[in-house]
Amino acid sequence: MTNYLIRRVGQMVLTLFLIVTLTFFLVQAQPGDYATFYSLNPDIPAEAREQIKASFGLDKPLWQQYLVHMKNTFTGNFGISFGHYPRPVLEVLAERLPRTVVLFLSATAVSFYVGFFLGKAIAWRRGGVLEYAATISGATLFTAFTPAFALMMIWIFAFKLGWLPVGKFLDPLIWRGAEVSANHVFSYMLATAAVFIVFAFLTLLAARKLGRLGAGRTPFLVIAAGAAVVPMAWAFTGVGYLALDILRHMILPIATLTLISFAGTMLLTRNSMLETMREDYVMAARAKGLPEKVVRDRHAARNALLPVITSLVYSLIFAIDGSVIIEAVFSWPGTGMTLLEAVRSEDLPLVMGSIVFIGLFSLLAHVIVDVLYVYLDPRIRYQ
Amino acid sequence: MRPAGWLAVCILTLCLFALLGCTPEVVREEVVREVEVVVTATPGPGGSAQTGQTSGQAPDPTPGQQTAAATPQPAATTSAAPTTTDATENVYQLGISADMTTTNYWAYLGPDGTIWNLYVLGGSKPSLYSYSAQRYDWVPSLASDFPTPLAEETVGGETLWTTEVPLKQGVKWSDGNEVTAEDFVFTAHTVADLELSGNWPSIVDPEYFDHAEALDSHRLKIYFKQEPGLARWQFGMAFMPIFPRAYWEPIVAEAKQAGEIVEQQKALYAHVPEREPTGGGFGFVKWERGAFAEKELNPDYYFTDSVVAQYANGAYAESKPGAYEFAAYGEPGGDKTLEYTVGPYADSAIYSIYGSQDATVLALKKGDIDFMLNPLGLSRGLQEQIEGEDGLAVIENASDGMRYLSFNFRKEPMGNKAFRQAVATLIDKEFLTSTVLQGVALPMYTTVPEGNRAWYNPDVPLIGKGLSRGERISQAVQLMKDAGFTWETEPRISEDGRFVEQAGEGLKMPNGEPMPAMEILAPSPGYDPLRSTFAIWIERWLNEVGIPVRADLTGFNLIVDKVFTRQDFDMWILGWKLTAYPDYLESFFHSRHSGLEGHNPGGYNNPEFDRLADQLLAETDLEAARQQVFEMQVFLAEDLPYVVLFDTPLVEAFRSGRVDYPYTETWGGLQSASGMPALVHFK
Repeated sequence: MTNYLIRRVGQMVLTLFLIVTLTFFLVQAQPGDYATFYSLNPDIPAEAREQIKASFGLDKPLWQQYLVHMKNTFTGNFGISFGHYPRPVLEVLAERLPRTVVLFLSATAVSFYVGFFLGKAIAWRRGGVLEYAATISGATLFTAFTPAFALMMIWIFAFKLGWLPVGKFLDPLIWRGAEVSANHVFSYMLATAAVFIVFAFLTLLAARKLGRLGAGRTPFLVIAAGAAVVPMAWAFTGVGYLALDILRHMILPIATLTLISFAGTMLLTRNSMLETMREDYVMAARAKGLPEKVVRDRHAARNALLPVITSLVYSLIFAIDGSVIIEAVFSWPGTGMTLLEAVRSEDLPLVMGSIVFIGLFSLLAHVIVDVLYVYLDPRIRYQ
Repeated sequence: MRPAGWLAVCILTLCLFALLGCTPEVVREEVVREVEVVVTATPGPGGSAQTGQTSGQAPDPTPGQQTAAATPQPAATTSAAPTTTDATENVYQLGISADMTTTNYWAYLGPDGTIWNLYVLGGSKPSLYSYSAQRYDWVPSLASDFPTPLAEETVGGETLWTTEVPLKQGVKWSDGNEVTAEDFVFTAHTVADLELSGNWPSIVDPEYFDHAEALDSHRLKIYFKQEPGLARWQFGMAFMPIFPRAYWEPIVAEAKQAGEIVEQQKALYAHVPEREPTGGGFGFVKWERGAFAEKELNPDYYFTDSVVAQYANGAYAESKPGAYEFAAYGEPGGDKTLEYTVGPYADSAIYSIYGSQDATVLALKKGDIDFMLNPLGLSRGLQEQIEGEDGLAVIENASDGMRYLSFNFRKEPMGNKAFRQAVATLIDKEFLTSTVLQGVALPMYTTVPEGNRAWYNPDVPLIGKGLSRGERISQAVQLMKDAGFTWETEPRISEDGRFVEQAGEGLKMPNGEPMPAMEILAPSPGYDPLRSTFAIWIERWLNEVGIPVRADLTGFNLIVDKVFTRQDFDMWILGWKLTAYPDYLESFFHSRHSGLEGHNPGGYNNPEFDRLADQLLAETDLEAARQQVFEMQVFLAEDLPYVVLFDTPLVEAFRSGRVDYPYTETWGGLQSASGMPALVHFK
């Protein structure tokens, strides 16, 4: 396993190298002169421009510029954002990341839960009304034009019914007197989610170790109790109302993303379940007279989970990329919108930094999935 | 419940939502007003509301004659959360389409000179002089009167030009300190010492500014290295935002220790101000990145309750009971064209950031915001949506831009005046703007917009205006023939004069050489459908008379690179945002700017024009400058370095059921005054 990991990390570095190279030459290939963008931006002081020119080797031949760019990237120097001068690119990205991660992790989790739940159900009862209804509605929503659908959701739920806010991630009238920044609250929310997930994981692990003692509904009751503690803990922080405001603003984008994307997971689960249901051990379980629910959930669904989990992990990691469309329509200023703004304003350091950043996380996602496979499926062994 | 049951419930719920959403809207507002559509097109005399940069922004000229009608503002909307908004507060809510990038005013006029920073930060710093509302008269602000005339003076063996400015007494920063001449001196010297870039050199020009000194707390003396023209002094340094010395002095001193000049600048720009004293109606209090920014009322704002009046005879009057009185440009009397009392009437101004114009419009319709700030105004589709809404008003003003076609004078036949005049004659702007573009653009003929009344010369010849298709072609052909151009086959027009039956062929230049194939660089439809439409039609019309030209619709950056960086082009179509004080005529057309990276890439070179442009730069008298600008316009209308094509009107919308402004007719729209936070009042 160790050798495999070392090899994978090596491959990752090589791929990252290719991503950085491709990004560099794509930017070079666009109309106009790349060096001019850097060195003639009139908003940046002349001396600072000279400094940037020197640090990026813009007065040198292309191949030398490329080498300097490569060295800067691998030493974590993505440059200084034109649009946020003199803030470093990495600082701008780090500021936007928590907002995207909170929204898209939540949306991905909800979407996968709904998709898995429905996929499991329609595979088990093939040919029923549920299968037709879920498949048709899922496929229809899956192919919906995202910006139009998102605007329609806003129009119905925010504008016409007035139940939810029109985009953004907070209400200025609530936040104007707040002592903490939204990024603090997003970070607390992420920390809460991480602690809760670890707690739930440890609970399930302990239940497995305890054998019969941990069987039945006990671990789920413990997890539910833990979940109940979360709002109480937030109530003591003094910023619970701010988190609640963010959650309220998350409802509409999450609902939109879920409706658009649950069909993918649902159909994947359904196909995987159908294959699993033909396995002998499922027939054996039925023959033993186990209840249908137990056969479905414990024997079939658990084994059908592997490809779904793979898809989930990829989606979770790609959550850092956000979605330019969803973020723009819902005025959610995350990494997707940052990339869009950077492209619009020709903030090339920020564009290149964002792309490399996303590429890096995608590569990490692949490695994580490989490792996760070993944990989820004992049959898999890497040499 | 079984999954099928859950799904059925979900589907039914969705259907219910859709059904509810599609039912006629429930009128939620108590106050329902008719939609107002105000169409205006009136800039005024005097200088510019805003340069393409930001230094001359009309400083929220100050408010209306009505006193504050304190309609209670609804409290915060979330029941689950404690609200931080008092029910009696008037919060002016504005929507913007992009985030600020800094709260540091030095940086905003330096590397962070975005319109969004201007909207939020503008109006928080006093300046010696400013523009009046609507008419853009040059009037005192922090100054108590006009400056003394520029005079030569020998200082330390050096001859300098000096002027003295008296300041108002009793003007205070929000921390209680008085705004004095020392604050001005500190600001100007900081800009000069740190060699600040961006918009700063156009405000404090190092080639002109020598130093300033405070004769006493309320009398200022400024020394120039050479005699500054209107653009450098009255419409430049006199508009310099003044910083509170007590707050910034230690920060600037620390920045100066940072090493090289670039490091010093960086240190100054990187400083994040906290509770910086304001000299405007509002002070900046909060910036939640990506979400909103907030400004809070400055209760000690000096100009609150000042009354401003403008008269039909041109007179301007401003007074504050017990504090000051000022009048200029004639004897106040007769009909008043505008009168208002300065606010602010809002307790706070919140700028919420929306990711798209659609989302901003929905927020406006829903009542989340009172006004949407956007330098491009509303698109036609969104305008139509809003015009049907209760409690919303749509206003339309002339904008301060122009789109033009220009030529490379270094190549023939573009260097030939008759050829350029023929091209201008062939372009039917009225047909394109009214028939093809359905009124989303307005035809334009002059380099100084007609709306800029103080500087627009009405006697400039408008080539091609009002001609029929046949007349255009005949006139263009005649112009070229007179200049020595010849055709193997001349273009033939139909009897009714509406189209060309036979296109011109074998066009030769006066030197006998065949007319070369040429290219018009223009933005692609994705970037600007209006300019690309013009380019395509110009190609067609020129081809009809035998001029072999092709429109190359390409990326904006590529055009800029080819035209300004490499000067490798024949003709191009781009646009400019214009200032009210038209010193841009010198920047665009003086031959000294025809080098690489210059603003005159076409290489227009007319010594007579250059002489006038030089005079304009040095001119210190407003009326003389006006005459020079008039003459320059005549030169440009005949020489045609630019064939000015069109401009677009600026459409804006506000929540008229809740807020009102002392006036809505203004060049560049309400956004040119950042939405008038210090003038808006509540119903």
